[in-house]
Amino acid sequence: MPDSRKARFSMRADRKETLRYLGYRGQEIDSKMERMIEEAAAELEQQSSPKSVYREYSCQVFEDRVRIGELEIESRNLARNLKGCSRAVLLAATIGRAADFMIRKYSVCNMAKMTVVQATGAACIESYVDEVQEEIQKNARKRGLYLRPRFSPGYGDFALEYQKDIFQMLECSKRIGITLTEGNLMMPSKSVTAVIGLTGREQESCQMKNCSLCAKTDCEFRQEGEDS
Amino acid sequence: MSFKERLGKELLFFDGAMGTMLQERGLKSGELPEIWNAARQEVILDIHKQYLQAGCDIIKANTFGANPFKMEGTGYTCEALTKQGIEIAKRAIAQSGRQAYTALDIGSLGKLLEPLGELSFEEAYQAFVPVCVAGEEAGADLCLIETMNDTYEIKAAVLAAKEHTSLPIVVTMVFDEGGKLLTGADMEAAVALLEGLRVDALGLNCGFGPDVMREFLPRLREVTSLPLVLNPNAGLPVVVDGRTCFQVGPQEFAEVMKEIAREGISAMGGCCGTTPAHLSALVEACKGIAPMELSDKNRSVVSSYTHAVELDRPKIIGERINPTGKSRFKQALRDHDLEYIYKEALAQQDRGAHILDVNVGLPEIDEVEMMRSVITGLQGITDLPLQIDTSDPAAMEAAMRLYNGKPLLNSVNGKQESMDAVFPLAAKYGGMIVCLTLDEHGIPDSAEGRIEIAEKIIAEAAKYGIKKKDLLMDTLTMTISTGQENARITLDALHYVRHVLGVHTTLGVSNISFGLPQRERVNTAFFTIALSQGLSAGIINPNSEAMMAAYRAYCALNGSDSQCQEYIAHYSKQGEQPRSVSPKDEPLRLFDAVVHGLTESAYQAAKTELETRNPLEVIDGELIPALDKVGQGFEKKTVFLPQLLMSADAAKAGFDAIKEHLQAKGGASESKGTIVIATVKGDIHDIGKNIVKVLLENYGFQVIDLGKDVAPELVVETAKEHQVKLVGLSALMTTTVANMETTIKLLKKELPQCKVMVGGAVLTQTYADMIGADFYSKDAMGSIRYANELFQA
Repeated sequence: MPDSRKARFSMRADRKETLRYLGYRGQEIDSKMERMIEEAAAELEQQSSPKSVYREYSCQVFEDRVRIGELEIESRNLARNLKGCSRAVLLAATIGRAADFMIRKYSVCNMAKMTVVQATGAACIESYVDEVQEEIQKNARKRGLYLRPRFSPGYGDFALEYQKDIFQMLECSKRIGITLTEGNLMMPSKSVTAVIGLTGREQESCQMKNCSLCAKTDCEFRQEGEDS
Repeated sequence: MSFKERLGKELLFFDGAMGTMLQERGLKSGELPEIWNAARQEVILDIHKQYLQAGCDIIKANTFGANPFKMEGTGYTCEALTKQGIEIAKRAIAQSGRQAYTALDIGSLGKLLEPLGELSFEEAYQAFVPVCVAGEEAGADLCLIETMNDTYEIKAAVLAAKEHTSLPIVVTMVFDEGGKLLTGADMEAAVALLEGLRVDALGLNCGFGPDVMREFLPRLREVTSLPLVLNPNAGLPVVVDGRTCFQVGPQEFAEVMKEIAREGISAMGGCCGTTPAHLSALVEACKGIAPMELSDKNRSVVSSYTHAVELDRPKIIGERINPTGKSRFKQALRDHDLEYIYKEALAQQDRGAHILDVNVGLPEIDEVEMMRSVITGLQGITDLPLQIDTSDPAAMEAAMRLYNGKPLLNSVNGKQESMDAVFPLAAKYGGMIVCLTLDEHGIPDSAEGRIEIAEKIIAEAAKYGIKKKDLLMDTLTMTISTGQENARITLDALHYVRHVLGVHTTLGVSNISFGLPQRERVNTAFFTIALSQGLSAGIINPNSEAMMAAYRAYCALNGSDSQCQEYIAHYSKQGEQPRSVSPKDEPLRLFDAVVHGLTESAYQAAKTELETRNPLEVIDGELIPALDKVGQGFEKKTVFLPQLLMSADAAKAGFDAIKEHLQAKGGASESKGTIVIATVKGDIHDIGKNIVKVLLENYGFQVIDLGKDVAPELVVETAKEHQVKLVGLSALMTTTVANMETTIKLLKKELPQCKVMVGGAVLTQTYADMIGADFYSKDAMGSIRYANELFQA
């Protein structure tokens, strides 16, 4: 299994997703707005260099904690997510620093474009992680394993503090250039870490989206119609 | 013989991986290898010995991660582990009986530097200092700064090594397959910076195996004059059950390396996955191959944190960041309104400038501090190389230290005092230097006089090891309104300097027309003539379309614009489309321009309005109603966020026109009240806060923006100092809402009458009530409504 993947993925910003992050509710989009969205996507895609690293570990799941490799994580939500998994993948991905640079630049001279870049970046990292996940899935399927939905530090009771451990295990800073702030936030900001459980039982590879696990039901970005 | 004496004269061999070997001996994932310098010395010693036996000349001490950040909480100090690491390597060399060198191995700190990360340049520098000092004291022979992916961090490490040791410095970096560092820097940029800092050798390590690295080398050989070092991995890493493995075996590794050695390299060894067997095969295969031939590439370059600009064809230096003769700019400096300066930078970049001059000197401000702020800020928003323009050597050094690249310095002149001040700085930090051909006796009024000074400057620079390629001679433009000969003198000197002395040239072009009407006509003609006489870089106003047109036309004519591509790209569409927004129709009303988010039209329309109406009428009759209309649309969800902000930007342009109008009349705009806003401690998500700021400003509030990750004490202190009625706080993460609560509590205790409004993704009304906020704003317009109500009362 490849350890560190660089720029072999297409990483395209999905327009619908970009609009969703912008809080779009069907408003009229004039040609000027349209051009701004296109330009932001083109500039970001051209300047970004997505990178990811993932590693697979054995995993044990208990009631209120899980053990991934040698890492012990106390989290009921994660334990529920990984129920029945004997293996798990730790994944980290980023689209790189260009998005943050562009956001800073446009916050000086073009606030509207800044928000569009922000949303486009969010859409890009999601679509990139989807692509990486697809590769993980392909490899898993060859071994008769199925993927659980990815679950990230900060979701539910999966504390952000575990970012530190994940970063050490995956050598995030050295391999793909993501670092943690003192508050365990990732820089570059358009980055994702996640745990993906691997299960041998297809019926357990439920496709429930993570939004439905989140307690903030009035969230602007919540995806509709997928609550379990 | 010392390492430095042998470097470049014979092919030298670095050793291979340490981490890989330690993992085989039981180092756990996540465990710090440097701790074994204290706990399991015999293992480290044995590995070094194996590499020495393989024939390696340079042993990388086990000090890669021995820095204050990584050692935090381990119970060890980086100094002690560094010292032990060097001592073990030296012991291994002594026991082997071979002549070999100990490299103090310095890796990345594992933290991102500003502007992206939290670590300041100075903090990074300070973190490297104890490592360098301990390494030299323990007897290291060289300093190897390796596996680097950020030029700014490299600069911090190199400066620490240069200022605190006398060790030779080798820097190797990790480029991705696009040939870029993680920061986006290309090879030319990295090379410009490193050659400027005068390291002894540079190269590549880690990331890839020898086959991929080999592809990078031709480009690297083309741009650097320094010895090249190559320490590849044993192929790409693969992971088996959480363990990293490498698949290229010793023979395969050695074979590719042999090819590389034949193509030209100064020193080679291995990184992750390579073993004594790899190195033994490598040394065996490459023994006797001559090192690469070194030659001065003679490239005149400056660089930013992403790319280098070479003076191989004429370049534009934007002159607009300079307060001289600009009252609005001076006011911005006094008010510390850096955004104004950043806008000037971005506008010039948009218009095609290649390098930006930065002059922020005013008698009444602290130029050193201002220079620091502006350079740091500018390299966060523009990737153009900067020209540090100051007559204060302290400000120049402060800027050069912080600059992430090889800057252009403006300027030195033929006065001994000037050369004594500037050349040592250039020799230390690197940079191209603008040299004014004047001296103690003033500006010579003949070409010969200026040439003489140019020659004197070249000779003096050489004493510092500064080559002609790094000088940019300014033969000084004097206005023709005071002397008809002036243009000829300047141009004759310029021609001689460029073509006889072989030194690049620059001019402040527009001085030529000082005191004449319709200056642009003279400026463009002079610019074109100067270019044809050998002007390498014109310091001009890129916002002048006529000047840029003269430049592009010249480049098309003299063949430096290949197939006229740039000219065509720039002008093929402009003929059809005049630059104004609505050519046929009546100019837009201010109200409509704002509603439609048309910034330029809003600015023009406001100017037109101000001819017949007073500023207050324009604000209350046009700008505010337009903002209200868009704001209401946003709340009713007929307008979405970027549209709201397009209107906000357009309104801001309208307000700028009013500000300029008032300033011209000596008045000042009135503020509705002052509001302090901040993103709370621990949180770095400030986009929402920035949006609120723009909108509040549009509605006439004075906003004190404390930025992100702001301590509760600072919020309270600022609120107290300005006696504000309202504080706005934002937080995006559940974890940082706790800090929001702390801030509110402190505010309520110290300033009970002050109201607090809060916003951010994880907040809800319930949550806001719970932490004691006075108002929860679910979106940007909510905060406007609340502020308006509060300040009307």
